[in-house]
Amino acid sequence: MSHAYANTVAIARLEWRRLLVRPLAWVLAALTLAWLAWNFTLLLGSFLAGQIQRAAQPDGPGFTDLVGVPLLGQLAQLAFLVVPLLTMSTLAGERRNGTLALLFAAGVPAWRIVLGKYLAVSGWLLLWLALALAMPLALAHATHFDWGKLAAATLGLALMLAALAAIGVACSSFAAHPALAAAAALVIALALWSVNLGAQMAGVNGGAVNWLAMSTHLQPLLRGLVSSADLVWFALLIVLALALAARRLGADKERG
Amino acid sequence: MTSPPADSSPTVLRLHRLSRRRAGRVAVQELSLDLQRGQVLGLLGLNGAGKSTTLSMIAGALRPDSGGIELNGEDFLEQPELARTQIGWLPERAPVWAELSVEEHLDAHGRLRGLNGATLRQARIAIIERLELQPLARRLAGVLSQGQRQRLGLACALLHRPALLVLDEPANALDPVQVAALRALIREQAAAGTAVILSTHLLAEVTAVCDRVAILHEGTLRHDGPVSAGDHAALEKTFFAIAMNGVARAA
Repeated sequence: MSHAYANTVAIARLEWRRLLVRPLAWVLAALTLAWLAWNFTLLLGSFLAGQIQRAAQPDGPGFTDLVGVPLLGQLAQLAFLVVPLLTMSTLAGERRNGTLALLFAAGVPAWRIVLGKYLAVSGWLLLWLALALAMPLALAHATHFDWGKLAAATLGLALMLAALAAIGVACSSFAAHPALAAAAALVIALALWSVNLGAQMAGVNGGAVNWLAMSTHLQPLLRGLVSSADLVWFALLIVLALALAARRLGADKERG
Repeated sequence: MTSPPADSSPTVLRLHRLSRRRAGRVAVQELSLDLQRGQVLGLLGLNGAGKSTTLSMIAGALRPDSGGIELNGEDFLEQPELARTQIGWLPERAPVWAELSVEEHLDAHGRLRGLNGATLRQARIAIIERLELQPLARRLAGVLSQGQRQRLGLACALLHRPALLVLDEPANALDPVQVAALRALIREQAAAGTAVILSTHLLAEVTAVCDRVAILHEGTLRHDGPVSAGDHAALEKTFFAIAMNGVARAA
């Protein structure tokens, strides 16, 4: 294993372990999954209640449209709160604790520290997504799934979580205190989601402001439409946020 | 300034005109010194003399503004990854990840330093035994006393058998028995060929374990010379002459 790869894995393992033993990650997982499970039963109840009416519409919405995707939509809403809380300590906490210097002193470059932390948090978020997804999938044998639409929506959610995690890690690299990092990540994520709200209210549906908004790129995926332009937008956001975090961390070593 | 003794052992560390500003003032200025294999160098100075800044730069946690650091003949500033295997660092106050146990700390440090599998396991067991950390092995670092944290930090610094051991006030919060054990450990490491640089406020610490002493004052090296167990009075005289001269000039 090359040094670069081994260092990144070592940082990711360290962060993963810290996530697993901290109560915050477990409490967040328990509360949000309980909330999603409750909503899943409500969505399912509503779906079953309307089944007879929908039987008359051969092209009407199915289980994926009425239960699977709405459940993922709720997870997306929760992510705005969960991801900043999960990422807030990744670098700001290390800096306050004095342990960031230990990572530098192990000869780990800033970008590998950022990447390792990011991978660990992303792993936790993907697990969270998988557990939420397991609820509708548990009924796969009993209902008809639109697998393509569900896969596209899952991909969209995974990309959104990855982007929010990158924003959270970047905010954590800049903030002196984890709480500030969480607040900044929440505000930036909300701003990025709704930056086009004014334009849409004015009836403008194109242009740079709409392109900038995360909702513009997530909603097609939730509808089952996978476009390379949307995938590239998420990739650009992730790379930009992680590059900023690595740059800020590198400056920490310079400034002391 | 007193010159360091000539030594035929290979040079592990060479500082060349190392300078660093911190918080708008000069913390270290034009610092040059060498450290040979198996040598123990004590770094003395008043608070704010630049000891911790110097050690942070040597450990690779802080970049100097100018000057050079050579580690076993290689440019450390060009190859910071050398720190991974060649340097062990115990920072002041021994920072820890509060939510990890002592064993998990050692594993994490070992992996960061390139150890894994059976090698890591053996190194961890050996260092736990050597530092008598067995009763604490499963305990979370967050509940350790400062002295216990210090021992954990020391274990992490020694785990990968570095060529250079950098200790920033290692006797902090240790009881007299632990201080004696620490001194024995430092001498043992030096006998095995490790170069050791330690900063301290305690002159007795220096005369007890060091072969050489360097005195920093206001970021500059004012004295670099040999020291031995019987030199306490002479060292005290030199130290106070340098320190009080600075205080007198400041007044």
